Amino acid sequence: MVARLVLGYGLLVGISIALISLVFYFGTIVVLQNQIDARIAKIANREWQTYDARPNADLVAEIGQQLTDNFNSDTEIYLLLSASGQILAGNLQRWPVFAGNRPVTARVIRDGQNVTARLVKRTLGDGRQLIVGWELSEVDQIRQLVGNALLLGGFLAALVVIVGAAVFRRQVENRIAEIRHAAQDIGAGDLSRRIRVAGQDEFGLLSLDINRMLDQIEHLMDGVRHVSNAIAHDLRTPLGRVRNRLDAALRTQGDQARGESLVVQTAAVAAIADIDHLILVFDRLLQIAEVESGVHTQTFQRVDLDRILHDMAELYDASAEALAMRIEVESVLPVLVRGDRNLLANAVASLLDNALKYASDGGLIRLRAFNQGEQVWLEIEDHGPGIPEEDLPKVTTRFYRVDRSRHLPGNGLGLSIVSAIVKMHGGTLILHNTPSGLLVRLVLPATSGAQPS
Amino acid sequence: MRCLVIEDEQETARYICDGLNAAGYESMACDNALDGETLALSRVWDVVVLDRLLPGKQDGLDVLHAMRQSGVHIPVLVLSALGRIDERVHGLRAGADDYLTKPFALEELLARLDVLVRRQQPVPVARLQVADLILDLAAQRVTRSGRLITLQPREFQLLEYLMRHENQVVTRNMLLESVWDYHFDPQTNVIDVQISRLRNKIDRDFSVALIHTVRGAGYRLSVETLS
Repeated sequence: MVARLVLGYGLLVGISIALISLVFYFGTIVVLQNQIDARIAKIANREWQTYDARPNADLVAEIGQQLTDNFNSDTEIYLLLSASGQILAGNLQRWPVFAGNRPVTARVIRDGQNVTARLVKRTLGDGRQLIVGWELSEVDQIRQLVGNALLLGGFLAALVVIVGAAVFRRQVENRIAEIRHAAQDIGAGDLSRRIRVAGQDEFGLLSLDINRMLDQIEHLMDGVRHVSNAIAHDLRTPLGRVRNRLDAALRTQGDQARGESLVVQTAAVAAIADIDHLILVFDRLLQIAEVESGVHTQTFQRVDLDRILHDMAELYDASAEALAMRIEVESVLPVLVRGDRNLLANAVASLLDNALKYASDGGLIRLRAFNQGEQVWLEIEDHGPGIPEEDLPKVTTRFYRVDRSRHLPGNGLGLSIVSAIVKMHGGTLILHNTPSGLLVRLVLPATSGAQPS
Repeated sequence: MRCLVIEDEQETARYICDGLNAAGYESMACDNALDGETLALSRVWDVVVLDRLLPGKQDGLDVLHAMRQSGVHIPVLVLSALGRIDERVHGLRAGADDYLTKPFALEELLARLDVLVRRQQPVPVARLQVADLILDLAAQRVTRSGRLITLQPREFQLLEYLMRHENQVVTRNMLLESVWDYHFDPQTNVIDVQISRLRNKIDRDFSVALIHTVRGAGYRLSVETLS
């Protein structure tokens, strides 16, 4: 956009300069030519008026004198012909056939020299013909001078336009880049980021407007987060108290009246289990909120994903075995990222949970982590039924569950947590169905080996 | 065993103390940081349960700090509603021996306290034995009644942990933290399945079961089948 804008304005300036040059050039040359035309017309008219009535007057002598008076003699041109066409006087060897009553430019031979001149013709009363002319070498010189000057000026102007355009473009782009970088950071989740406001120009005002908008968004987001966190937190605490009360009652009662009121006991045990489940859901919601708020990034360290994959495969191998499934880790080399190893392990564990739960007829689950350019890819591939295409974009939404799996235990928060963890590590979560099952890919930024842990 | 409970919420404090007393501890509750600090420094306790959010905007970690500064190194379990991972890291770095998030199950708290008070300096032993089960650390071999039992490396570590804490209740989270060295809440019963596989190898072919499930809490390895 900026490049096109700058190119457009550069072109406009270039055309303006060219127009000014043309006007100046032709203006100068035409004015000069008009002066010469006026001069030769004046001379011709004077001669004509003086000698028209007097055929025998000394026109020949007059011409001779004009041509030898050293006053403009080298540029003046005269030619006088008799009625029969003989040259009577003048400094032209031949009669230029094209001369007329109006001044014309022609090439003539004057004193043996080929020159360019303006010529005008007058026919005297006795049939004699007079040509008066002015050599143009002077004009040619001026023409060349003006042309050169304009060429040089045009070149310098073009240079200024190009350099100016480049500087202008750089400046605009720098200002825009600043806004874009900030926007990218904000898009990546850093809502506290603001654009530096430099000056009171349009960009400064735009930055101010964007910053104000961000303040408002952050305020709203904080509000929403605060409310949901407060709900989870404030409900969790009394829930915990209810749970403990039930537990305490159960203990006391168990001690005092063992075996009695079994119904109440059973109900209390079931209630505690339900409350524990609720607390777990709240814990998970709070964990997502916590991960999304990005507070962990301060505790990030260098983590070997390959190690985590092997550890999680080991943790889940008994579960896989019980389902007659197998977990295979395909990578062997360390794959480093900056992150929180417990959260990354949590993500892998959640994905393994899913694979074991939803692809339980699939047999083999493959895990791998590898470097892919500037990124690290962590992949979990199962041989299950995959996820219906229309559900793919929604499965990371909190509490979303695919219809056909609603009968299975779960709370619809597993992939939300994975997604939040991946986002927090500056990565993206990609789910897609392959011919054989579901492929989940965590794309994370790679860490350079030189970074301190 | 004497346990000091620094917790400002009356009901929770009583719940913990009752649980502790029932488990054979002598316990005392204290509801503010100032008294808590004085008491904690008196060196009569075997373990301290410390809440973080105390009256007057006091952080329990300050009490912990004062204890460690004064050279009091008894185990401290921090109990807090501040459950974020960075808060936990913060607490452990401040010198806490364990960190438990509220709401908590009393069994989890008791199991963790039990491990803390019984923790001795790790004695470099060559082998562990419970009844006829022998775990040879040097040879990385497990036998029961003289029969060799083949275990995978992590199963070996799991059994080692259970045997080192013979007669103690260990919870699922404790096993994940100690044996696998990860701290997160697995959504499924992966630890139970691990234990069940280990059981198949250790107990199935023998008349006396050694690995017992403690309802609502976790597991215990012992010869006797206590409740």
